[in-house]
Amino acid sequence: MLQFFKNPNFNIVGKRKFAFILSIVIIVAGIISLFVQGLNFGVDFAGGAKMQIEFKKSISAEELRTLFTDKDLGNPEIKSSGTNEYMITINANDAENSDDLLKEALLGIDNTILQIDKVGPKMGAEMRNNSLQAVGIALLLILIYITVRFEFKFAIGAVVALLHDVLVTLAFFSFFQWEFSLPVLAAFLTIVGYSLNDTIVVYDRIRENIKIHKGKPLPEVINLSVNQSLSRTIITSLTTFFVVLILAIFGGQVLFGFSIAMVVGVIVGTYSSMFVAAPILIAWGHYFKSKDEKKK
Amino acid sequence: MSKKLIWRYLIVVVLLAWAVYSLVPTLQYERLTSAEKIELQDEGKLIDLESKIIKRGLDLQGGMHLVLEVNVPAFVKNIAQHQSRAYYDYMDNVNAKFEANPEMDYLDIMLETADEDSLRLSRYFPSEERKTDNKSVIANLLTETEHAVIRAEEIIRNRVDQFGVSEPVIQLVGKKRIIVELAGIDDPQRAKDIIHSTALLEFVLLKDAEYTQDIINRIDAAVKRINPEDISQIDTAVVSNTTSTDTEISVSELLGIDEKDAGTADSSVLVDKNLAAEKPFSALLRNLGWDIGVPVENYYAVNKILNDPEVKRVLPNDLRILFSGRTKDVDTNDGGKVKFYTLFFVNREAGMTGEAVKEAKAELGSVSSEQMGQAIVNVRMNSEGTKTWARLTGANVDKRMAIVLDNKVQMAPRIKNKIPNGRTVVEGFANLDEAQDIEIVLKAGALPAPIDIIEERTVGASLGADSINRGVKSMLIGLMLVAIFIIVYYRGAGTIAISTLILNIFFVLAILASLRATLTLPGIAGLVLTMGMAVDANVLIFERIREEFFKGKTIRSAVDNGYSKAFVTILDANLTTLITALVLWQYGSGPIRGFAVTLFWGIIFNFVSGYFISRTIFTSFTHGKKPLNKLSI
Repeated sequence: MLQFFKNPNFNIVGKRKFAFILSIVIIVAGIISLFVQGLNFGVDFAGGAKMQIEFKKSISAEELRTLFTDKDLGNPEIKSSGTNEYMITINANDAENSDDLLKEALLGIDNTILQIDKVGPKMGAEMRNNSLQAVGIALLLILIYITVRFEFKFAIGAVVALLHDVLVTLAFFSFFQWEFSLPVLAAFLTIVGYSLNDTIVVYDRIRENIKIHKGKPLPEVINLSVNQSLSRTIITSLTTFFVVLILAIFGGQVLFGFSIAMVVGVIVGTYSSMFVAAPILIAWGHYFKSKDEKKK
Repeated sequence: MSKKLIWRYLIVVVLLAWAVYSLVPTLQYERLTSAEKIELQDEGKLIDLESKIIKRGLDLQGGMHLVLEVNVPAFVKNIAQHQSRAYYDYMDNVNAKFEANPEMDYLDIMLETADEDSLRLSRYFPSEERKTDNKSVIANLLTETEHAVIRAEEIIRNRVDQFGVSEPVIQLVGKKRIIVELAGIDDPQRAKDIIHSTALLEFVLLKDAEYTQDIINRIDAAVKRINPEDISQIDTAVVSNTTSTDTEISVSELLGIDEKDAGTADSSVLVDKNLAAEKPFSALLRNLGWDIGVPVENYYAVNKILNDPEVKRVLPNDLRILFSGRTKDVDTNDGGKVKFYTLFFVNREAGMTGEAVKEAKAELGSVSSEQMGQAIVNVRMNSEGTKTWARLTGANVDKRMAIVLDNKVQMAPRIKNKIPNGRTVVEGFANLDEAQDIEIVLKAGALPAPIDIIEERTVGASLGADSINRGVKSMLIGLMLVAIFIIVYYRGAGTIAISTLILNIFFVLAILASLRATLTLPGIAGLVLTMGMAVDANVLIFERIREEFFKGKTIRSAVDNGYSKAFVTILDANLTTLITALVLWQYGSGPIRGFAVTLFWGIIFNFVSGYFISRTIFTSFTHGKKPLNKLSI
């Protein structure tokens, strides 16, 4: 029988201080980065036009840029997206009939337009609002669900863990200025679901072990539970990690943002279910214990 | 064999039969060559088959997704009556506010501003209702815009039907928007033009020459007021391709705008040097026989002058100044050619509109006619229109009548005599394709209000095919990796897990086909993700079985305990992802919804195959006639 861990007994809970510091450092750095350079919103949210164009002959980005000067196109972003293929993004303010202007500018050169994404500024603002609403509703529903299924303190732990995952992943998107688009938002919600999946498996164990090992101190029970579900956590995370990595490598331009968000999210989600979600119950427990003692 | 197990087998067989039945048409369809497809189409069987296959999203088969919204400002402008100076000032205020806050509702701004300016809106938007306070007028306008959207949807549907696209989606969303989805079109630009051109056909009388000259003089004076400097003194390089008196200056110089403020878009223009000092506007124009020509180089400058607020102020209310839709080449003295637009000074009010059109037919002008070989559209009017047309032409013989399409003049012939039969010919098209497009929009009718495209997503067919390849490739590689890993780790049990995983994908595809749900590229990503997550149920179970086994339980009870203990965990863990999927389903648009759909069904079938079927297979080994004495896990 192949086993990664034979009767694992790592002191995971004991490392919680170190884990908390690591998480807080990344999140604080992320928040600073969010304030300083923000997110790189794609046309879905910022409005504007994005066109993927394939040219029959090789052409350089500089040559393209000269074609666009004096064409009311502002300062388009020109990025190579394959052999003789470019992704051209035009700012929302310059995008009134930007795609027509762009096509006009390219009339003399043999090209095929592979893709156009054009979103009016009003529509972009609307999508931002709708998305925030969707995220809010999803979080609320999940909180209700966990409160019903577990105790409230578990719900708080789970929500802290998933906020942690979202913030860390968001931090990565800000650090590396990866484009934040609609599929990326979908990935974020999936990360939320996935992170909870992991957390709940651990919590289920804790709930079960509290009944079995009555009288054992809470930190020990929690550490035991995390260890017992360790194999499962690692294996499931690995399979999910494999497939999203494959998607990031082979899925192409369109799915890259989605896949990279998932790659980061899977790693962070696994980490948080072990090092954040479970230990937070101990911190919570201490807080209430000291309160109870004061009452006495 | 226990009775319980027989029931389980039965359910599995039924499920498999359903999945195979649902997926056979898709497999059949994928194997068809294009020749066979045409054959089936002739037999009328293709549509039937296509209705049973997995529908591909626009991002996979190529196509165009448009979100259209009625342009409320333009609509209001169109239906306003008795427009006066006070009204224009009011509208200027409203438009300025709207530009500053584009997210606000235009009609709300109108109401607010009207109250501030104490303007009675009922004067400009009369209605039959008795209530004439501003609030009721705005409420009335809102109803009218909503009706306009509904009519626009019908008209767009007619246009698309005539354009010939298979299975177009045209639907109203909310009260202001229309979604149009066209799959697999060759020329997205043309389709876009047909859908969103207003197609307002107007027959308008031209102002006479004297009047026109007077207006031009007024504009000249206005431009001089804006920029009192003598522009002929501006020393610029003389790059001229028409006549030696032409000189090149920039529009900014012409209007006295600081070059920095004007932005980079200004292009240089050709002016007649001799005229420029006294008549700066006239200097941009050329005399082309009966017409006023605008060299293409000057188009931007002339447009800018005509839209200058100072210039607009001197123009009478009943006048419209329009450009021709196309340029024409005129030979110059030195043998070269210059492209000209033509400028028309016409009545604001149309003598007749396209509503009168009964039939339109695009064709090439016949050999004997004036339009020999030219692309034209033959228009026949309805009985009402025939009468109006006869009266209009009869009363204005020898005057010129402009035929205007969407504010661009197609042609402006002189009326030779009364036309009693309600027929006319519209010319001025680049080619037969363009004429045919006009035929389509004329037949379908004009849009009641201008329509803006607020979102457009176009995917070329080649990129769509590429996406499918990438998706399938990712899925196969992902499956292989997961399979190797799980089978190495769990041996026999791992093989069961992988078979149920494949079944899971199989079931999701089957339900997509039976529900006619759309598979998008994010949808494929959802499937790939499902593969990663679906093993989770099995991993949870197997780890439990191992634990029970280590505790010293028999194989049989270890398996039973493993499955039942893991169930609650699997349920809890998957329900949260299910919630996420449902929220995305509700809020997501197009491709994202595709992701939510596959994620949702992936989880549902995870219970079916990852738990139920996997347990069935497992128990058939442990509870069979020859119970296992060794567990391969």
